[in-house]
Amino acid sequence: MTIKKGEILVIDDEEVIRSGCQQILEMSGYSVAVAENGRVGLDKIIQHDYDIILTDIMMPEMDGMELLDEIGRLGKELVVIVITGYATLDNAITAGRKGAYDYLPKPFNPDELLAKIERGLDYRAHLREVQLLRQDRDRNMLECSNERARTLTIINSMSEGVLAINRQGQIVLMNPMASKIMRLSEERAIGRTVDEIVRNPDLKKSIVASLQEVQAELSSTRLEFDTVYGRAIEASITPIIDENKECIGTVAVLIDVTEDKKIEKMKSDFVSYVAHELKAPLGAIEGYLNLILDGITADKPQTEHEMIEKARDRAHGLIALINDLLDLSRTDRKKSLKEMHAIDVEKVVREAVEFYRNRAEARSQHLTVQVDGQMPLIRANEEDLFRLYANLISNAIKYTPENGDVRVEIKRTKSHVRVDVIDTGIGISGEAQKHIFDEFYRAQNAVDKKITGTGLGLSIAKKIAEDHHGYIDVTSEEGVGSTFRVTLPIIQDE
Amino acid sequence: MAKKILLIDDDPDFIEINKTILESGGYVTDTAGSSAEALAKIRANEYDLVIIDLIMEELDSGFTIAYNIRDSARTRDWPILMLTSVQEKTGFSFDLAKDQAWMKVDDFAAKPLRPAELLQRIAALLRE
Repeated sequence: MTIKKGEILVIDDEEVIRSGCQQILEMSGYSVAVAENGRVGLDKIIQHDYDIILTDIMMPEMDGMELLDEIGRLGKELVVIVITGYATLDNAITAGRKGAYDYLPKPFNPDELLAKIERGLDYRAHLREVQLLRQDRDRNMLECSNERARTLTIINSMSEGVLAINRQGQIVLMNPMASKIMRLSEERAIGRTVDEIVRNPDLKKSIVASLQEVQAELSSTRLEFDTVYGRAIEASITPIIDENKECIGTVAVLIDVTEDKKIEKMKSDFVSYVAHELKAPLGAIEGYLNLILDGITADKPQTEHEMIEKARDRAHGLIALINDLLDLSRTDRKKSLKEMHAIDVEKVVREAVEFYRNRAEARSQHLTVQVDGQMPLIRANEEDLFRLYANLISNAIKYTPENGDVRVEIKRTKSHVRVDVIDTGIGISGEAQKHIFDEFYRAQNAVDKKITGTGLGLSIAKKIAEDHHGYIDVTSEEGVGSTFRVTLPIIQDE
Repeated sequence: MAKKILLIDDDPDFIEINKTILESGGYVTDTAGSSAEALAKIRANEYDLVIIDLIMEELDSGFTIAYNIRDSARTRDWPILMLTSVQEKTGFSFDLAKDQAWMKVDDFAAKPLRPAELLQRIAALLRE
C-alpha cells in the first residue's frame, strides 16, 4: 500500500474515463472520488476539499464550463484540470479564463495523466502556502485594526475628556467628553493649535509648558479652572515621551468636577450651619454665666434665677440638637449597613405613641391610635422606623396647645401602609410648608411662639421615609392643625 | 442724656444678655429680633450706636443692615458693632485693616463678650 498522495475528484459522464482515471490514480497512491456530471461534482466539492478536480467539459446536467463558474462563485481556490475531446485552443483559453489550471486533451495515456496531476499537486501545494500566508497577514491586519478600534472606543466612552496634542501644538485627538467640556466639535478641533482653540489661559500655558518638557521621566501637571460656561474642570497634563526620551506631544485629561464641588460646598455649608447652631446656645449659656459671675445682676436675685433657668433651657436644647445630629448621621449611613427586617408597622407606631403618652397627658391632650384592619408587614429598619413616627408624634404634641387632639391613623392601600399623624396645633403656613423638611428650617410661627426645636426632626423623618422607598408629605392650615402622612411600601408576596 | 443703643439679634437670649449689660452701664436700649424689624426701627428712630448680630435669616443679614445704615445721610455716622458666634465660618476675615473698605462696620467681636469688654468697646465707639 502506498500512502495517499492527494485527493482527486474525477468528473466525467463517460463511465470508461471515470473508472480508467480512478484505476490509474489509485494505483499511483491517490485517493479518488468520482462524479458523473457537473452537478454531482459540485455537491462533492462543496462538501469536501479535493486537491485536484479533473473534469470533462461536455456533460449533461452541468457542463465543465458551468462547473468552473460555480467553483469561482464558491470562492474556493481549487486546482481544476479540464479534460476534453475537443482539444481546441478556444476551449483551453475559455476554461483558463474561468479559473482552470491546466488542460488535458483526450485521448491521453496514464503517464500524461499522472504528469498533469503531479504538476497540479505542486501548484496546489504552492497555493496552500500562499493561502496560509495571506490568512496570517489578514489576521494580523484584523488584529491591528481591532486593537485600534478598541482603543478608540475606550477613549471615546471615557467620562474624562481626553485631548492629545502633537509637538507642534496641534490637536490630534479629542474624545466626545473633551468636546463637550470645551464646547467644540472634534472636526473643528483636529489639526488646529492649542493657541487657537484652548480658551483658558492656565490650561493653555500648562499644555505649552508640557510640550517643552525636557526631562525624561513622566511628570504630570494638575490644575483646576472654571470654564466660561461655569463648569469646574480639573485637568491633568502629561507629556508623551518616546523611547529616545524626547517629548513627542502631550495628553490632557479633563474632568468635570462641577457636581463634586457642589456637594463639597453643601457639606461645608452644613458644617458651618451646624457650627453656628451649636455655638449659639453655648454662647447664650456663657453670656448668662458672665452676667451672674461678673456681678451685673448681683442686686436682682429673681432675675438671676430666671437667667439660670434660661441657660438650662439652652443646654437642654443643645443636647436635643446633638441627639438629632447623631440621628441624622445615623440615617445618612450607608443603607447596606442597616439591618432590614419584616416589621409590623402598627406595633412600632403604638410603641412610639406610648413613648410620648406622658408628655401628651401632661398637656391634657387626647392622644389616640386608630387602625384600619389588619396591617401587612413592611421591610424596614426598626430603629429608624420608630424614630420616624416618634419625630412626628412628638412634633404633633409640641405644636398642639393644651387640651388639643393628636390622632394617629394607620391605613393600608393595595401596595402601601399609610400612617397619618393629625394634630389640632398651630399649623404651618403655605410658604413654610415648602421648606418644612429642609435641614434646620423652622417655621416663623413656631419661633414666634417660642416653641423650641432644632429644625432637624422632619428632615430626619423625610430621610428615613425615603430610605425605605416611601415618602412623607404634609397638609396644614395655620391655626387649625397639621397632618403629616408617611406612606411606605408593603412587602409583596414573591 | 443717656445714649440710646439698638440691639439687633434673632436670639432672644442674646438680646436679654446684652440688654442687661448695656442697662447696667447706664444706656437706654431698644431691640429688634429680625432684619425687617431692625430696618423699620432704623428708619423711624434715632440711635447713638447699633449692635448687630451677623447671622440671622441669612448668613450675611448683619451686613445688609450695616449697608442700609451707611447708605443714608441721617444714619451714616452711627457707630456699628457687629457680633457673631462663628466668625471663622463666615468667610469674612474679620480683620479691620483688610475688610473695612467695604465692610461698613466700626468694630466686631465674637459672641459672647464679657460684660466689661462689651461696655469698654461701646465706650470707645461712642468716644466717651
